[in-house]
Amino acid sequence: MSFGIKHCLIIICTLCLSLEAQGQIFTDSTQAKSIPQVTVTGDRTQDTRSVATSKQADATLMQAAGSLQISDVIKYFSGATVKDYGGIGGLKTVSVRGLGAQHTAVAYDGIIITDNQTGQIDLGKFSASQARSIRMVSGPDNDLLQPASLSAQAAVITLNASRPQLGTAKAHSWGEAKHGSFGTWSVLGGSDFRANQANTISLQAEWLKSRGDYPYIQEGAGSRHMTRDNSDIQRLRLEAALFSDLSDNTTLTTRAYWFQSEQGLPANIYYNDTPARERLWNRNGFIQSTLSQNVTDRLTLRINAKYGITHTRYLDPDANTIQGKTDNRYTEQEGYLSGVVLYRIRERISASAGIDGRLSGLDGNGAQMAAPTRITLNSTAAIKYASNRLTVTGRLNHVITKEKTKLRKAADSYNHLSPTVGLNWLAWPSAGLHIRASLSNTFRLPTFNDLYFEQIGRRDLRPEQATVTSAGITLDNQCGTLHYSFYADIYNSDVKDRIMAVPDGNTVKWKMVNLGRVLTHGIETGLDISRTAGLIRPAARVSYTYQRAMDKSDSGSSVWNHQIAYTPRHSASAVAWIETSIVNVSCNIIYSGEFYSNGYNGPEFRMTHYYEIGCSAWREFEFDRFTATLRAECINLTDYRYEFVHNYPMPGRQLRITARIEL
Amino acid sequence: MKRFPLHIAAIALIAWSCDPEPILLDATRAVPDGVNTGIYVLSEGLFNQNNSALAWIDYSTGLPYSWAGPNGTSYDCFEKANRRRLGDTANDMLLYGDRLYIVVSESSTIEILDASTCRSLKQIKLSHDGKASQPRYITAYGDYLYVCCFDGTVTRISTQTMEADATVTVGRNPDGICCAGGKLYVSNSGGLDPSDPDSTVSVIDIASFTEKTRITVRNNPGTICTDGTSVFVVSRGIYDYGTDDYDCRLHRIDVTTDLLTDTYNIPVLNMDIVADKAWLYRYGSDTIQVMDTRTGQIIQSSFITDGTHIECPYSIKVDPITRYVYICDAANYTTPGSLYCFNPEGKLRYRMATGIGINPNTIQFSTSQVQPADAGTIIENRTPISKVFSYCPAPGQFINTIPQFSESDDSITMAQKCLEALTGNGMITLGGFGGYITVGFDQPVMNYSGPDFRIDGNAFTGNAEPGVVWVSSDANHDGLPNDPWYEIWGSEQKENRSTPGYTITYLKPESDDDDIEWHGSDGRTGSITRNNAHKQPYYPQWYDQDSVTFTATLLPDNQTYQDGMWVMKSFGYGYADNLPNSDTNSAFDISWVVKEDGSPANLESIDFIKVQNGVIGCNSETGELSTEITAIYNINQ
Repeated sequence: MSFGIKHCLIIICTLCLSLEAQGQIFTDSTQAKSIPQVTVTGDRTQDTRSVATSKQADATLMQAAGSLQISDVIKYFSGATVKDYGGIGGLKTVSVRGLGAQHTAVAYDGIIITDNQTGQIDLGKFSASQARSIRMVSGPDNDLLQPASLSAQAAVITLNASRPQLGTAKAHSWGEAKHGSFGTWSVLGGSDFRANQANTISLQAEWLKSRGDYPYIQEGAGSRHMTRDNSDIQRLRLEAALFSDLSDNTTLTTRAYWFQSEQGLPANIYYNDTPARERLWNRNGFIQSTLSQNVTDRLTLRINAKYGITHTRYLDPDANTIQGKTDNRYTEQEGYLSGVVLYRIRERISASAGIDGRLSGLDGNGAQMAAPTRITLNSTAAIKYASNRLTVTGRLNHVITKEKTKLRKAADSYNHLSPTVGLNWLAWPSAGLHIRASLSNTFRLPTFNDLYFEQIGRRDLRPEQATVTSAGITLDNQCGTLHYSFYADIYNSDVKDRIMAVPDGNTVKWKMVNLGRVLTHGIETGLDISRTAGLIRPAARVSYTYQRAMDKSDSGSSVWNHQIAYTPRHSASAVAWIETSIVNVSCNIIYSGEFYSNGYNGPEFRMTHYYEIGCSAWREFEFDRFTATLRAECINLTDYRYEFVHNYPMPGRQLRITARIEL
Repeated sequence: MKRFPLHIAAIALIAWSCDPEPILLDATRAVPDGVNTGIYVLSEGLFNQNNSALAWIDYSTGLPYSWAGPNGTSYDCFEKANRRRLGDTANDMLLYGDRLYIVVSESSTIEILDASTCRSLKQIKLSHDGKASQPRYITAYGDYLYVCCFDGTVTRISTQTMEADATVTVGRNPDGICCAGGKLYVSNSGGLDPSDPDSTVSVIDIASFTEKTRITVRNNPGTICTDGTSVFVVSRGIYDYGTDDYDCRLHRIDVTTDLLTDTYNIPVLNMDIVADKAWLYRYGSDTIQVMDTRTGQIIQSSFITDGTHIECPYSIKVDPITRYVYICDAANYTTPGSLYCFNPEGKLRYRMATGIGINPNTIQFSTSQVQPADAGTIIENRTPISKVFSYCPAPGQFINTIPQFSESDDSITMAQKCLEALTGNGMITLGGFGGYITVGFDQPVMNYSGPDFRIDGNAFTGNAEPGVVWVSSDANHDGLPNDPWYEIWGSEQKENRSTPGYTITYLKPESDDDDIEWHGSDGRTGSITRNNAHKQPYYPQWYDQDSVTFTATLLPDNQTYQDGMWVMKSFGYGYADNLPNSDTNSAFDISWVVKEDGSPANLESIDFIKVQNGVIGCNSETGELSTEITAIYNINQ
């Protein structure tokens, strides 16, 4: 067995060392063990008063789903499709309601994470351990304090970073080590402690390394058993956060974040006989701050600020160029300032206004690098009526941009107005039945690649527009010790002026144009059920998604009405777990119906359905001075071999063990 | 009121169930031309998707050849005949003699097909220092093919040996090659450095296969064609960010002087020349122009006369006999393309939208019958061995029982018993390390691409007893295995984990109840231990000598003791009795055969096979490791 006693010993030793070090710094660990018990709450799936479809995953669900990366959790949210290139380092982007990955915004602790170069965020870069909970809202958010740049997005995935939960304790520290298949090791350590009455500090460090050499089967003249090559990855994340209570009504959160990674880029499995040697390096750092002040009973102010820098290096040592390689380096910088004021006009009526300013720039070592800089000004005004039974929201978003380039002409300015409205009505209070409906018009700006990428980009692109209408019901009720929560939403999403690459009548040249239109009809539904008391507490979440995403770009083309590539019509997931005093056990499954790897739905592009089953068991051991958790999980239990992205196989069966100590 | 949303949901569901379903392209028909039997259409597919495809449009039916592929109707003749895909970005194709040569750029391979069956006779992998050469275009002259590669080389391939035998360095990223006046003209694009492209055409003397000169034309030369007296080359210039376009020109090079004689301000992207006429198209337009190559004058400014619109012309080819003009349409580059055939007057004869893959780029005309072979049935067509020449096992627990020894037997009758076992339902054992059997076929086993023969054994997971395989071709045609032997290098030889030429000597024990001692050439000793399950003598009873010596390739020890049992793990590929018979890696490809120095032996066919136990191992549970064989057969008929 590969998980021998030796490995367990190594893990325990590593933990002991790191904890001993922490213990020396943060004394008074006797008090630290009184961690507040996490209670099962009704909002595990959703906020019942939300006007839009919202889903949430808390720490228990993330554990039960066997999540290593944030993308693993998103796979359990209905309505989201994760495009996964396989392995820990493989790109993982999320498309919600057939809108395309660029319409999905990712926020870390309330502040948007941007990638102006590609417009899509790789959710594989975020570790599940860095989020206390994850929330995905598709449509207008009830939160009036949301910054303007987030309120203008079709879907927002918010990673709520871990916040100190010290209670009466002075410090809380933890250490965790994981060892998994294909040479995967990860070590995580963190500590929350009170610097003084008003200030709490949280520190975290996480390191991950994986060989990623998982086996796969290459079909062809014979099915060959191969292992994934050049799929290794190494990552480091450092985080420090300061939570300050400046006064009774003012809080300030400041976070410094550093992430760096080095990874191989495995080729498609049929590439050729020469070894894959492409590499990718990432370095990303940011500092962000959020100031919240309840100025008066009626007036709340929130200010966000951020500075971030990202270095990316891509190396292909085998390119047949003059230098014998391709070595691209990019630096993206961003400064961000945002302010929102919320005013409670009446008991039931509130209004808010916000403005976000952002300065982003991209530079690189390419001779034809346009080196664009963009100023984006998002503003928003919103109004909300909330009574016991009825919530109505209305919002107007506006964006204006201005661009400059070092080389060649810059893109024109955009000026775009987009409204959203939403309604939630408690139709049947005793049953906890809510009816909700929303309409949102959102957009995504052309990315720097869309506008300026060598020979392909076009600077006259307009923003891509998405109109989504959604209606549904939620049901949330307690039946004895049984809590259940159900939701079902139907939606219609319409993407116009889709930014896509088309040929320019020239074999060597493509160009970006605003041409496509995609119309999606879909259903998202889910059920959460749990027993909230008792010695044995089973819980389960089931969800199902239907998406019919039709290409409506050109009625004369061969792909008219065809399903968009990489969008399964049917997909479903389920997680079930039982918490007992002896051991906690979970089981999870993801299913996807067949889909196509091409916009033309011919049989040659059909990708077969797949499912992935996992299970895990974990237990907490309480000691005088600390709590230890041991966890073992099996991912893809049946060793089902499949591909999501054509020719990029997903890993088969994997085992992982985790040891965690908290004090 | 409570049920209101359910009504909406119901209405929406009904409405959505009326969502139109995708409609696939209608079947279209080709119109025969009275000369050709049909045309091959090569489509490169999409980058990184391994979906290049070869279609055969059969003029006897007017339809593309189709078959029931793994995902439904398929039109890829290559996959049909070879049970694998062509690869990534098949960029060019040439019908030369009775073979079809396909250049697969991103996969960095040349596929040599039998044109009538589409079976791959050989796949040549082109790489240099671990870097893919990225072959782009191909031309032929005499007994050789010439392929220009993005790594700045032109590789020569012999049609006789089907091997790359010489390479010439040219300019950067050559992206076009043609042959005129005993010379090759290669356009050096340098296109992988878009801001600093190459601007030359290399001239290679075919006889000496050396670069004679380089002619400077203009930045980024690409498409290159000849009418015999002149070479026409398109230069694309440097991309102009002001106009967001290239600025193409057409150049003429005189073949006798190798000088640039004319530059025409015609923004040509692609063309084909037949008998003093060039059919060409510019970019951003589907207008086909015709130029007189003698004068350089455009003699027809719009070849298409019936108003047919082509979305995105991707290649053009003129049939030299019928003068029909074929144009491939790549449509939007990401979905299947189509083919247009025009008569010489510029009127559409037919449009073929069925069976053409993504980005069709090359057409070849055939006047012979083409019937893609069925790789699916080839595996059923098993031809067993017909002779066992020698059976020389090492001592072991099954020796003298499979096959059964009786007092009257000698080495000849034992071999005969082996033949009966291997062609019937029996099994034979090779005993300990070094024991071997030599067998032969009536008909040679051809070296086609992919697996060629199988050796069935009794291996299963955790129970592999690998035997090393040698092959020989009956070079002197005497029907006997007295020709040079070549080893098949499996995964262990390939990775340098084996010990070649290991000699072992087994001593006949004093009593049949004693273990059999052995001495290895590296000083190791050991014994084949007796067990209670098998009580017969373990030393082959028909051997006259008191000791027997074998020399064989020693594979690494594959035994481990795990969880209370012995596990004999399988090696990667290339051994008998190593993997379950159903595993595709248990088949053998004659392309794996090497010469003594490890270089490919490139045998066209083989007649004899020798299997020799390659492992030394003995454990208390399963006894000594001995290769067992149940059948040997040709799967390649």
